[in-house]
Amino acid sequence: MDLFLQFLTNGLVVGAFYALSALGLTLIFGLMRVVNFAHGEIYMLGGVTGWFFTSALGLNFFAALALVIVSMAVLGWLVDRFLIERVRDQGEEAGILLTIGLSIFLANLTLLVVGPAPMKVVGPLTEGPVFLGPVVLTKLRIVAVAIGIILIVGANLLIRKTRLGQAMRATFQDPMAARLAGIRTDHIYACTFALGCTLAATAGMLLASIYSAQASIGGLVSLKSFVVVILGGMGSFPGAVVGGLLLGVAEAMWGGYVATGMVDIIGFALVIVILLFRPQGLFATRVERA
Amino acid sequence: MHFERNVLLAMLAAAVLLPLVVADQYLLHLAVMALFYVILASSLNLVVGYVGEFSLGHTAFLGVGAYTAALLSNRLGLPMWATIPLAGVTAVVFGCAIGAITLRLQGPYFVIITLAFSEVLRIIAGNWVAFTNGPMGLAGISQGGIGDKRGFYYVVLALAALSLYLCYRFVYSNIGRGAVSVRENRYVAQSIGVNPFGLALRAFVLGAFLAGLAGGFYAHYISFVGPEVFNFAFTASMIIMVLMGGKGTLIGPILGAVIVTVLEERLRQTQELRLTLFGLIVILVVLFLPRGIVSLMRPRREQRGEIGRMVPVKEGAT
Repeated sequence: MDLFLQFLTNGLVVGAFYALSALGLTLIFGLMRVVNFAHGEIYMLGGVTGWFFTSALGLNFFAALALVIVSMAVLGWLVDRFLIERVRDQGEEAGILLTIGLSIFLANLTLLVVGPAPMKVVGPLTEGPVFLGPVVLTKLRIVAVAIGIILIVGANLLIRKTRLGQAMRATFQDPMAARLAGIRTDHIYACTFALGCTLAATAGMLLASIYSAQASIGGLVSLKSFVVVILGGMGSFPGAVVGGLLLGVAEAMWGGYVATGMVDIIGFALVIVILLFRPQGLFATRVERA
Repeated sequence: MHFERNVLLAMLAAAVLLPLVVADQYLLHLAVMALFYVILASSLNLVVGYVGEFSLGHTAFLGVGAYTAALLSNRLGLPMWATIPLAGVTAVVFGCAIGAITLRLQGPYFVIITLAFSEVLRIIAGNWVAFTNGPMGLAGISQGGIGDKRGFYYVVLALAALSLYLCYRFVYSNIGRGAVSVRENRYVAQSIGVNPFGLALRAFVLGAFLAGLAGGFYAHYISFVGPEVFNFAFTASMIIMVLMGGKGTLIGPILGAVIVTVLEERLRQTQELRLTLFGLIVILVVLFLPRGIVSLMRPRREQRGEIGRMVPVKEGAT
C-alpha cells in the first residue's frame, strides 16, 4: 500500500508534465487544425536551450526559464508565419508533412550542434528528499510541478480572461466569422502556435531539470502528447490536463506492478480503446466526422 | 489512363534492361532499395492517394511481413518463394483487422490510431523475446541461394511489377473509381450508393498485402529483421516519397521512391548534415511543390482538356 501511494505520486508528477506538453498540442490542434509532429522537438529544444542557459552560461534557473519562454515563443511565432501559414488552406496532409520535415530538421540540427549526450538543466534547488507520510519526493520535483501548475493556470487565464484569449476562442469557433468581426486571424494563429510551443518547451525544460534533456527524445514526446490529446479530446483544455495525469498514473502503475519493459504500450492501448468507444475523447463535447 | 499505362510500361522496360548496363554491386543495391521503396510507396499511395485518408501506421504491415518471412524461414525452413507470399497473406490478415477498426474514424483520428497500432506492434516486437527474439532481432535469414545483387534485383522487380499491376487494376476498376469519389466528396458518394467503408477497407487491405510482400522481400534481402522495421522513420520515408512524387497518381510514388532513395544516398556523404538537409528538403517540397513532382509533367492531352488546376486522378474518370 505504501508503494501504491508512491507510484501514484510519481505518476502525478510525470503526468503534470505530460499535461503541460499536451496542452500546447491540443491548443494548436483545436484552433489551427494542424497535427503538429514537431511538437516533441520543441519540447526537446526547451530542455536543450534550458541546459545552454543554465549550465553553459551559468544563469539562474528562473532567468533561464524566462529566456526559454521568450525564445521559444519567438521561434513558434516565426515557424507559423513563415511555414505553417503557407499551407494553412491545403488540408491536414500538407501540415503533417511540413511538421514531419520540421521535426527531422530540428532534431538533427540539434544533434549536429550539441551532440547526443544527455544534458542536465541545473535546477533551482538541491535534490534533497522530502517525506510526506509514506511518500518520498524531492524539493526539486515539488518546485517543478508547482511551476507547471502555475503555467497551466496561467495559460487557462490567458484564454479565458484576456482579449487575446477571447479572439483565440472566437477563431476556434468560426474563423470566417472571426475575420468578419475584425479579428486578425493570422496574428491569432501565430500567437496560438507560439503559446503552444512555449508550453511544450517549458515542460521540456522542467522535466530536464528532474531527468535530463536529449536531442533524440522528440519523437516519443510527440507520440505521448498525441496520446494525451486523444484521451482528453482534441482541443479540450481540461481534457489535456486530466489526460496527462491519467497517462502518467497509468504508466507509473503499470511500471510498478506489471512490467517496466512495455510501459509505453499503455498509452497506445488506451488510445485505441478510447478512439473505438469514445472518439471525441473523455471531455470534448463535439465530435468531428468526415 | 493510356498515358499512365504507357509510362509504366516504359519504366518497366527500362528497369528490366538496367542490370545489363550496370554491373556495379553498389549501384545495383541502390536499385534494389529503390524498387523496394517503390512497392512500399505505391501501397501507401492506395490509402493516402485514392482513399484520401492519411495512414501513419503503414510500416505495421511492412514489419508484419518481414517478421513472418523471417520466422517462417528460420523456424520452419520454408524457401523464399513460399515465405514472401505468406508474408503478404499475414499482412492481409492484419490489414483486415486493423482496417476494420481504424477506418471507422476519419481525419486526424485515423492518423493517430494507425500510428498507435504500429507503435503497439513495435513495442511487442521489441519485448516478446520468446517469439521475436526482442531487440536482438532475427538474424541469418536464408537468402534462398541468390548470391549476387542481380538475382535480388529481378526478384524485387517482379514484385514491384506485380504491385503496380495490382494497383493499376485497382485504380481503374469500379472500386478504385468509387474510392476516388469517396475521397472527393464522401456524402455525394454515399448518396449514389457507394459504400465508403467497404471501399476504403479494400484499398487498405490491398495496400497491406503489398507492404507485406515488400516486408518479406526485405527480410530475405537484408537477412536480418529487428523491431526497427516498425520504426516511424520507415513511415516517414514512405510518406515523403508519396507526397513528393505526387499522391493519387501511379507514377508519382515511383518517382518519389527513386528520387528519395538516391537523395538519401547522395546526402550520406555529408555525414551528420544528411538528415538535417533531408528535413529541409521536405519542408521546401511542401512549400513549393505541393502537388508533387508529377505536377511538373502533366500529360499533354489533359493540358488541352482541362486548363488551370491539376487534378491527377481526373484522368481515371475520363
